[in-house]
Amino acid sequence: MLLKSMLNGATAMAWLACALFFLRFWKQSRDRLFGFFSLTFVLLAGNAVAAALLDLDDERRHYIYVVRLFAFLLILYAIWDKNRAGRHGTG
Amino acid sequence: MAEAVYILCALTAVACAVLLLRAWKRTQSRLLLWSGLCFAGLAVSNVLLFVDLVLLPTSIDLYLVRILATMSSAIILLYGLVWDAS
Repeated sequence: MLLKSMLNGATAMAWLACALFFLRFWKQSRDRLFGFFSLTFVLLAGNAVAAALLDLDDERRHYIYVVRLFAFLLILYAIWDKNRAGRHGTG
Repeated sequence: MAEAVYILCALTAVACAVLLLRAWKRTQSRLLLWSGLCFAGLAVSNVLLFVDLVLLPTSIDLYLVRILATMSSAIILLYGLVWDAS
């Protein structure tokens, strides 16, 4: 159990670091895509923390995956948004 | 309900990976390559999630494999961000 919590913690830290990188890109370029990416990785970090804190048999466990699903949908929306902006810019 | 969420997680992760890798092929932007690889890893992790919790009996536990797949995805992206971001 200790190993699992530690791995979850390490994963959360890695996601947070990724989120900070994308936050920096967003501040530099003001490109919304980076903002969405940053938000997604914050969600994934929260996800890993929640996974570390909840018991394996906790019946609320699958709600963690609803958050994860939302994070992925956010990325899909971000890519769609970016493509639309690109088409709008060139056409 | 839970099964549907697991399947949707896997499908959306695959979709993210495909879209990011296609964008990488078009633009050759290294950041898109690392993001695409990260989401490919997350897709593997989410497929394993479905296999572990829905298909396999409870006596077999893939938790450690799943979390290692997720952590590897995060580390791949972090590696790309540290070395290629400028």
